[in-house]
Amino acid sequence: MAHPILDHTKSREQFARAAKVIPSGVYGHLGPAEGCFIPVSAYPQFSDRAQGSYFWDIDGNRYIDYMCAYGPNILGYNDPDVDEAARKQREKGDCTTAPSTVMIDFAELLVDTVASADWAFFAKNGNDVTSIAVRTARAYTHRKKLIFFKGYYHGISPWCQKLDNAGVLEEEVWNNIYLDWNNEAQIEQTFAEHKGEIAAVIAQPYMHGNFADNTFPKPGFWQKVRKLCDDNGTVLIIDDVRAGFRMDIAGSDHYFGFEADLICFCKALANGYNVSALCGKDFLKNAVSGLSVTGSYWLSAVPFAAGIACIEKMKRLNCPQLLIDKGQKLADGLKEQSKKYGYDLHISGIPSLFYLRLADDPSLMLHQAWIAECQKRGIFFTSHHNHFVNASLTDEDIAETVEIAGEAFAALREQGR
Amino acid sequence: MDQRTLAYINLFAVLGTLPELCRISPEAQAYIRNQNVSVGFTVKGGPAGTLFFEHGSCRMEEGVDNCMVKIPVASCEKFNAIIDGKATPIPVKGFTKIGFLTGAFTKLTDLLTRYLRPSEDDLKDDRFFDTSTRLMFHLIVGAVAQIANEDPVGQVSASYIVDGKIRVAIAGGPAAYLQAKNHVLTPVYEDTDDYFSVMEFCDMRLARALFDGKVNAVTCVGTGQVRMGGMISQIDNVNRILDRVSMYLA
Repeated sequence: MAHPILDHTKSREQFARAAKVIPSGVYGHLGPAEGCFIPVSAYPQFSDRAQGSYFWDIDGNRYIDYMCAYGPNILGYNDPDVDEAARKQREKGDCTTAPSTVMIDFAELLVDTVASADWAFFAKNGNDVTSIAVRTARAYTHRKKLIFFKGYYHGISPWCQKLDNAGVLEEEVWNNIYLDWNNEAQIEQTFAEHKGEIAAVIAQPYMHGNFADNTFPKPGFWQKVRKLCDDNGTVLIIDDVRAGFRMDIAGSDHYFGFEADLICFCKALANGYNVSALCGKDFLKNAVSGLSVTGSYWLSAVPFAAGIACIEKMKRLNCPQLLIDKGQKLADGLKEQSKKYGYDLHISGIPSLFYLRLADDPSLMLHQAWIAECQKRGIFFTSHHNHFVNASLTDEDIAETVEIAGEAFAALREQGR
Repeated sequence: MDQRTLAYINLFAVLGTLPELCRISPEAQAYIRNQNVSVGFTVKGGPAGTLFFEHGSCRMEEGVDNCMVKIPVASCEKFNAIIDGKATPIPVKGFTKIGFLTGAFTKLTDLLTRYLRPSEDDLKDDRFFDTSTRLMFHLIVGAVAQIANEDPVGQVSASYIVDGKIRVAIAGGPAAYLQAKNHVLTPVYEDTDDYFSVMEFCDMRLARALFDGKVNAVTCVGTGQVRMGGMISQIDNVNRILDRVSMYLA
């Protein structure tokens, strides 16, 4: 039986209410503008509750959620083991004057888990730890310049923006060098032109930018970059905020066979509890110790307890492989449906972080229409961003997703597209 | 603010709105009904363009090779001062047409100023509101292209714009597109079905409120009053350029 078209009346009402007192109504990646809700009427704007792989919006519609809060939900919403660990710690204390030793337990677990980690330093968001990583690299090298790869996202701070971003000063970005992903010759030339000036290379483990197929590093790319950094005294920073623990429990650098000097984690670290971590090599420990950085909630104990439970459970489940397998099963089903209806669906990136694109229309309008038809029937996909698979996703969820994807393709055909 | 970019905006976007004014305003058409004259501005270190007035219609072209009245300007700053009414243009060619400059042309630019910097009272008149909003739309589309091509920060945004038509439209009102090619934007003041991305405002009232900064575009995306689609990275980068339009046109 075909899935019904969902109604979002209450979402619309609440958005109008929000817009009166909150800039943009809902700002950032969860909002309709940055979240590319095209058309906005097809999307829910507020959630009521969540469980496992689902969330329910305020109109009572259930969604199989492939954005997972843009990554944090890796074990399933309200995972009982993580929530129980958090509950127990909350009873003991959370945001206290002296930190809990659970912080040490968490750091030890990360050092044991992440291949390139000799220490762990905690904060709250991905942006916190990418910013601390860059400051650490600059403090250690006494250099200014940073290499980025076009299509990157490393947070919201001025240092990682482009010059045209509102409120960003030229002085804040003029030491930034933006290079093309996978272009080894360009990187080599840049190191030669800026001998002794480059503090750090900062990159995601593979290119998972928006509006374009995601791209893996060429064979030997990371080894080449690693060597250039070693030869030039430059710190290699891996931003594993998005991909972390969905490729390799030991870090995405480990997946690609090299070691970062600094590696940043957030999203999947504690299954939705608010914590991020910068892990690094021993030789950078003094440099990060010397930074003046802190935050009111950075050493709160509950997220640490949740993070320990999350990592232990991810290890027990062999989570990265589990998610890759689930993502592959979904990808196979989606491809089959697209073929059945005569569309050319491209799926890129690692299956646990898959990116979708209907290649029949390079403007992405057809793709946006298909994603909207999926949304209307209860699948939360996005048209612009990679997706996230979580461990609670069942075979039945995947089957229902594939079924709805087929209904969405059929709807496009009915529209003559 | 980059004076050279402002000079390009002033010539090709501000004075570049005169053809649209002459097209939609009977009052403007009356000023040029029996005219056959062309006025070229050539700015040292900046833009050069000619306005052709031919029997009730007006068009603009780049360059001054075919103009009857030629006005050389010593610098971008000087040209910007002329547009701002703080300096006087002095022609070096076409003295027999000087009457057009002091007469019909001045009336036209005064009328354009009235529509582009309208009083609240004028906007209460529906017809004036409609004309003013159409001209604002024309001006903004033109200014986006000039900033993308000339402003150092705008060029950063343009460097990320992939090739293809970016349609900008007001439902029930004007439509235009920016043709992106090799990170250069060209404004084309006609509608197109063959676009790569689109940004459409739901009506003239909303467009006006956005132009005047009275409502927020991001919020309007959420309410569905601003519709976007297609290659959103084009729209994202155009929006970054739009942020700079208000700085230049303030």
